[in-house]
Formats: sequence, C-alpha cells, structure tokens
Amino acid sequence: MLIELEGVTKIYNQGQINEVVALRDIDLRIKEHTLNCLRGASGCGKSTLLSIIGCVIQPTSGRTAIAGLQPARMPDRFLTVHRRRCIGFIFQNYNILPALTVRENITLPLVPLGLSRRAMAERVERLLQQFSIGHRGNFPAGRISGGELQRVAIARALVNDPPPSSWQTNPRPISTAV
Amino acid sequence: MFLNSWSIALLICGVLVLFLLGLAARSAVRVLLFWDPDSDSNRQIRLENEIWLTSTLVECGLGVQIVSLVVFVLAADYFSQSIVGAMCATGSLLANDFGIPALIVKIGGVFFYGFWIVLHQLDIRSPKYPLVRLKYVYLLLLMPLVVLDLALEIVYIAGLTPEIITSCCAVVFGDAVGGGTNLLSGLTHGMSLLLFYGSALLLLAVGVVLLKTPRPWLSLVFGCLWLGFFILALMTVTTVFSSYIYAMPYHKCPFCLLKPEYQYIGFAIYAALFGGTFMGTSVVVAEPLRSMEGMGDVVSGYRKKAVGVALLFLILFSVLSSYHYVRYLIVGGEG
Amino acid sequence: MNGGLTKHLNIIDYTLSSLWRRRARNASVLIVFAGVIFLVASFQFVTEALTETALDSLRTAPEITIQRLSAGRQTEVPLDYGEQVASIHGVREVVPRIWGYYFDEVTGANLTVIGVDLERMPLGEKLNLTLAEGEVPEPGASGWVLVGRSIKRIVESKGTAYLSLFRPDLSQASYAITGVFDAVTDVLTNDLIVMDIGDARDLFHISPAAATDLCVYVANLEEVPNIARKIAAALPDARVLTRSQISQTYQVVFGWRSGFASVCLLTALAAFVIFAWDKASGLSPEERREITILKILGWETSDILAVRFWEGALVAGGAFIAGCTGAYIHVAYFDASLFRSVMVGWSVIHPSLRLVPSLQVSTLLLIFCFTVLPYMAATVIPAWRSAIVPTDSALSGM
Ligand SMILES: Nc1ncnc2c1ncn2[C@@H]1O[C@H](COP(=O)(O)OP(=O)(O)O)[C@@H](O)[C@H]1O
Ligand SMILES: [Mg+2]
Repeated sequence: MLIELEGVTKIYNQGQINEVVALRDIDLRIKEHTLNCLRGASGCGKSTLLSIIGCVIQPTSGRTAIAGLQPARMPDRFLTVHRRRCIGFIFQNYNILPALTVRENITLPLVPLGLSRRAMAERVERLLQQFSIGHRGNFPAGRISGGELQRVAIARALVNDPPPSSWQTNPRPISTAV
Repeated sequence: MFLNSWSIALLICGVLVLFLLGLAARSAVRVLLFWDPDSDSNRQIRLENEIWLTSTLVECGLGVQIVSLVVFVLAADYFSQSIVGAMCATGSLLANDFGIPALIVKIGGVFFYGFWIVLHQLDIRSPKYPLVRLKYVYLLLLMPLVVLDLALEIVYIAGLTPEIITSCCAVVFGDAVGGGTNLLSGLTHGMSLLLFYGSALLLLAVGVVLLKTPRPWLSLVFGCLWLGFFILALMTVTTVFSSYIYAMPYHKCPFCLLKPEYQYIGFAIYAALFGGTFMGTSVVVAEPLRSMEGMGDVVSGYRKKAVGVALLFLILFSVLSSYHYVRYLIVGGEG
Repeated sequence: MNGGLTKHLNIIDYTLSSLWRRRARNASVLIVFAGVIFLVASFQFVTEALTETALDSLRTAPEITIQRLSAGRQTEVPLDYGEQVASIHGVREVVPRIWGYYFDEVTGANLTVIGVDLERMPLGEKLNLTLAEGEVPEPGASGWVLVGRSIKRIVESKGTAYLSLFRPDLSQASYAITGVFDAVTDVLTNDLIVMDIGDARDLFHISPAAATDLCVYVANLEEVPNIARKIAAALPDARVLTRSQISQTYQVVFGWRSGFASVCLLTALAAFVIFAWDKASGLSPEERREITILKILGWETSDILAVRFWEGALVAGGAFIAGCTGAYIHVAYFDASLFRSVMVGWSVIHPSLRLVPSLQVSTLLLIFCFTVLPYMAATVIPAWRSAIVPTDSALSGM
C-alpha cells in the first residue's frame, strides 16, 4: 500500500471560536501505480486531505502512512525531507515562479537533493522533451501560455521521480494544444 | 587603551557574541519552559521554528568568536608597540593579570560554542529531537562564559597603559641563557621531541583502532589523549619548533608565528591543532548520548566522521609544525 | 558529505540568480554598504600609512636625544654637556645637532632645518639611501643642502638652483641643492632642509660651542633606559628623550586619533546596520510566495537559511572588495582627499603628502570586524523570519 489513512481528522483552530472540522474520520488506501481522482463540493476538504497526504500539514488525530513513513508528530524537517523524496505537487494555480525560467522552475525540487549539476540538467532535459516544452526552456515562466504552464507544473511534480503524485487539476486532460 | 581601532574591534566582537548568544538564550528559556513534543499547538510549532533561530545564532556567534580570538592575538601584538619591553603579543598579554586568562577563556569559548553545534547537529538527525532539553540547558550554562569573556577583555584593555614595563618573548620562553625566568624549562630538546612524536603516533594508533573497533571507553581515551596532546603540542611548538621557523636559536615564541614575516604559518599550524583537538574532544561529548533513544546510529556515524577528521588534522598539524625543523635537519641552517 | 557540498553549490547557484532577479534592491544595499566600508577602510589605511612612515623614519633616529630646558622652554645645549655624557659607561658617541624651524614669509611655510655633523654622525652614509636624486657631499664641505620635494618645487619655480634663506639680521645666505629626499619619506621630509651643522649655526646665529640638542648613540640597546636615567641625574636641567618614548608617543597619539575617528565612523555603521535590518526584514508578497513554494517543493528551513546566508555573504563580500579597493585608490592616488578637512593636524603640517598604505591582512581583518560582522549579526533574525514562513499559506491555491 502506498498511501494509508486511518481515522484521520483535521480540525483547524481547535478550541477557538473559528474552529473548522475539515476532515472527520477518513479511511483511505491507495495502491502503487494507480491513478486516482478525488471529487467533492468546494470546501468539503479535498485540499486538506491532499495536504495531509503530501505531508504539508499534520492531521489532528488519526494514523497515516505515506510511502513507508508514518509522519505523525514529526518535526517539519523530516516531513520536508520525505516530501522532496517522494511527493510531487501540482497546484490548481500551478504555483510556478513567474520570474524564473521554465528550466529553473523545473529544477527547483532537485536543488536541495545534492545532485550534481549534470544529473539535474539531464533529468530536466528529459522532462522538457517528454512534455514537448523544450523550446520554451529558457523563457521566463511568466511569459508562456496556460497549457505550457500546466505541463511545466506537471514536469516539476515529476522531476524528483515521486512515487505518488498529488495531482489536483481541473478535470480535463493534459492539453496538448498550445 | 580603549581608544584605538584594535580595542574597538575587540569590543565590537565581544558585544556581538553577547548579542547573538543572548538572543539564543532568550529562546532557550522559552523552549525549556514550553517544549512539548506531543502537542501541535501554535506555540509548539513556533518553538520548533525557534530551534533554527537558535542554531543560526549560535553558529554566527561561533564564527564571531573565532574572528575575535584572532583579533585578540593580533591586538595584543599591536599593543606591544606601545608597551615598554614588549616585542610581540607575549609581552602585552603578560602586561597585566588578565591577558592570559582572557586568552584562555576566548579559546574555551570557541570549543564550548562548537560543542553546542555538535549537540545540535546530532539532535536534528533524530525525528524525536531527544537532546532539546539538554542542549538548551547547556546553552544557558554558556551565558556566564560569554559574559566572563567580555568582562575579562574589558578589564585587560583597561589595565593596559603605556607606562607598564613587561617582558618580551625572549625572556619568557628563552633558555636559561640570559638568566631570565623560564616558563617551560625542565625538558631537554630531544626529550620533548620524543614525547611529541611519540604521543602523536599513539594518538594516530588509538584513532585507527577506534575507527576499526568502536568502544565507548576508547572514545574517552581518544578525547583525553587529544586534550593532553593539545597542551603538549603548544609547548613543543613554542619551545622547539618555533625557533626553527624563525631560524633563530634563541627566538622562541608562540605568537610571532602569526606574523607576516613567517608567511602566516602560525595560522595554519594553530588552525590544524585547534580543529583536530575540537573534533577529537567532541567524540567524548557525543559518546554518552549513544544510550539515548534513537541516537545510537547517529552518534556512531558522527564518531566515525569526527575521528577521521581529527586524524587528518593531526597529520596536517604534525607536517606543518615540523616542516621547518625537518628541513633544517636535511638542508642545514642556511637552506 | 559529498552530496552536502554539491547541495551547497546548487544553493549558491540559486542564490546568485535570485540576487540578480532582485538586483535593484540588492544593489542599493551593496552600494550603501560599500560606501560605509570605503569610509572605514580609508581611515584605517591613512592612519596605518602615517604611523608606519613615522615609525620607520624613527628607526634611524638616535637612541637618546638630550635637550636643555630653561624657564620650561628649550634653549641651546652647551657642547661640554656632550663631553660629560660621553664619559658615561656604555655611550658610544655623542653628536651635536641643530634642529630648528624657519618661517618662510613668502610662502607662509614653516620649514624644518636640521644641521648635522656628517663626520661624526653614525649612519651618516645611510642618509644617501633616503635621497631620490643627488647625493650627500663629502664631510667637511659647506654651503650645501638636502631638501624635501616641496621645497625643491618652490626653488625651481623661482628658476634658480640655489636656496636662499635669511639670517636673523636679514642678511641672505644661499645654499646649493645637492640632493632631494625620496617621496616615500614625505611625511617627515617634505618640508625638511638638511645642511652642515656649521651652516646651520651661522643661519640661526648659534654660538659654535652650542647646539639645540645632542644625539646620544648607545652600544647596547638594552642599556638605553639605564643610561638615560644616568644622564638625567648628571644633567639636572636637561630633557632626556629615548627613541622608544618618542615612538610610543606617536603610537598613542595616532592610535588615539584613529580610535576616536572609529567611534565617529561607528555612528555611520549603526545607521547602516539599521538600514540593512530594515531591508532584510521587509518581505514582499512575492518573496513570501517564493519561499512557501520552495518549502513545499522540499526545501528545508535550513536550506532557506543557507540561501539567506549566501545572499548576505555575497553582498557583504562584494561590498567589502569594492569598498577596500576604492579606499586604497582614494588613499594612494588621491591622497585621502575626502579626509583632508577632517584630519586637520596632518594636513596642515604636511600639505602634499604621499601616502602609501601597506595592504596588511590584519588591517583588512580590522575593517572586516568593523563592517561585515555587524552586518551579518543584524541580518540573522530577518533571515530566520523569512525562512520560517509556514508552508500551508500556499495551499490556498490548491
Ligand atoms: N488554514 C485554515 N484555517 C482554517 N480553516 C481552513 C484552513 N484551510 C481550510 N480551511 C477550511 O477547511 C475547509 C476545507 O477546506 P479545503 O480543504 O480547502 O476544501 P476544498 O479544497 O475541498 O475546497 C473549508 O471550510 C475551509 O474554509
Ligand atoms: Mg481546494
């Protein structure tokens, strides 16, 4: 099992007047090499769930096991290390840094891994070709079209060879039209 | 003698260390009061973030402390120009009762701030942060040292006046030739060399054995040997090696080595010695932590690295310090 | 370990590109910082050069100088004092010297006149080494002078090869310029006239049996304080100065001045530190967003701290190099012209003095302590603040 959640509950601002119960008692199991889709009304807790799977935030209670790690109450540093080894993110609004070039954006997750410059360049080049955005490599990410931006975001999510991917995109296929 | 660039630079360094470590101590108090690893309250998250602040502050403080140690010795050298009888730092450090204590406390600062960083590095390798309390208690214990350091520095500088008459290094460290007081007499030339190289070899052997078959008691031996070697090395450099570096048989001084006339070789020699001693003794600091939960592998890994680096420094130090002596043996005096 | 090194290299790469992206802001910090370093470094270089030259020229000065005081003011020393001193055990040589000041009404300059006895002065032959052109005449000759460069210039502007001075009775005395002092010793020789002691007695109307001071040369340097004490005891109305006393006075005065000036410069520094703190702590929304994204992508807090550290180090390093280079050029080629009005004492005495700062590691270390260390300390907390931006603030975009 790649992702296992058991009785996960997330309460924001617990004990305060603006307390929000975003998730209540969630059980979830996801196998390797599967593509999964999470649907629900706005504000029902999709992002919260994905953040917990992505080790960005911690559940208030419940047990999680993500790619072999049980992140309950672990200092930030260890979650980060795990995140950069195993998890890629694609955000609804992509969260690409517009001032950096496409290539630099895709390289970002590799920087703290301590790979050599060559190894980084190779990986990035492969993804650029794979998503046919090689010709945009040196463009500032703020200057390319929406479809290309989406592919940059996907390439960035895959660049550290993550086992699971928390993809959260609009429910349309990756566009190939430019 | 406060109103000159060197005194002011020293005071700036001292105040900066106080400022940086004082801020670190402030978060130490907070962490010790409120640390609760099982909670995920905002306060706990803030405290976890503060660990990074503390470590950055102490690292910065250590950097400033090292600079301030160098500045202190160079400042003493500068003061010697305005003190009767002083030719180099030796004379000005002996010019009043606070020079040598200030120097020792400064060196102690470098080591003890460094040990904190070792603790920190070990601590953050384990997800439980098992050393949090220990390292923050230790940090609070460092505060008196910081204050003492600054205070000694101020008292020392305040006590320096151009009218003082002091002795130069030739008198303090020289052989009994001039009939002056001799600080390090009692050992002949050959004896001290034998002792020096003997203990360096012993240290090397213990280090290699420690790398092969780690034993807690052996770590302890290794650390203590380093401490002894440190003192022995300082004495040997002063009484034997330095005169070969100066190429003057009666010039024996630990500080003149740092001067540009000798290509700043003293900085390299002392850096290697201090680095080796620090790594060597830090093994003793790390060893008792093995028994703590989740620290076994972390400490073993650190010990391996530290012993290796210490041995490298040992070799480097031996080569650097005996280079001129060996060259003298081979090429002769004029070489 | 190896991965750690390449990781740092990668982080430096990233830092460089991020510095470049925000070049306007970083340049402003760099320029202001370089300015502060420039001031501190210039000052340090100037004092260093002055002290150096002054101490250097003292090295050939006599071990002990004897003057005579009358009514608390300096008067002529009779030559028989010299015989008395010469009989003290350990004294190698006693040489009379005339040291006086000549006020030139035309230029308004106060010139230093030294009359020496070439025959008896030890190290007399060394005088040649300080000359840029010409040479010291044979002992016994008269009517010659050795002058500093500015005097040479004044004489040349009049179109003669002779220096004319007036005796107290306004009769004129002329001297042939046989040598000019080297620019390196300008701090002391710029306004200096060296002539034969007989000529000097004639110029100042001093009796042949007297001099302004006596130079005492001692065989064993260790005995200098001892001998000085004996001389003082034997000649109650004499003022006895040892070389180390003079050099210490220089040292203390120069040190005090530079220390005082450092205190003034610290004010500028404090202003800068506040500026740096302010610049470093104001995080723009884009920067916040950037850090959040980096952290989600797997950058640790310590990685962001490393970026901040390298940012500071690169800015400080650049400013340090720029400031020190500028200061060196300012002092060596423009004679520290910005400080002219501040350093009243020196500029009045030595109007066109060539300063040659010696670039010593210790001086650079001092400048480093005065500037870079406070800057680094001031940016620790802002750097940490920016590094702990929480990750979930990016999730609004999910
Ligand atoms: N950081 C937060 N603090 C307080 N409430 C939050 C926070 N993040 C999300 N929420 C609340 O939790 C609920 C679930 O949010 P979210 O997971 O973003 O929903 P979705 O992504 O499915 O639209 C919402 O009511 C939202 O207002
Ligand atoms: Mg959402």
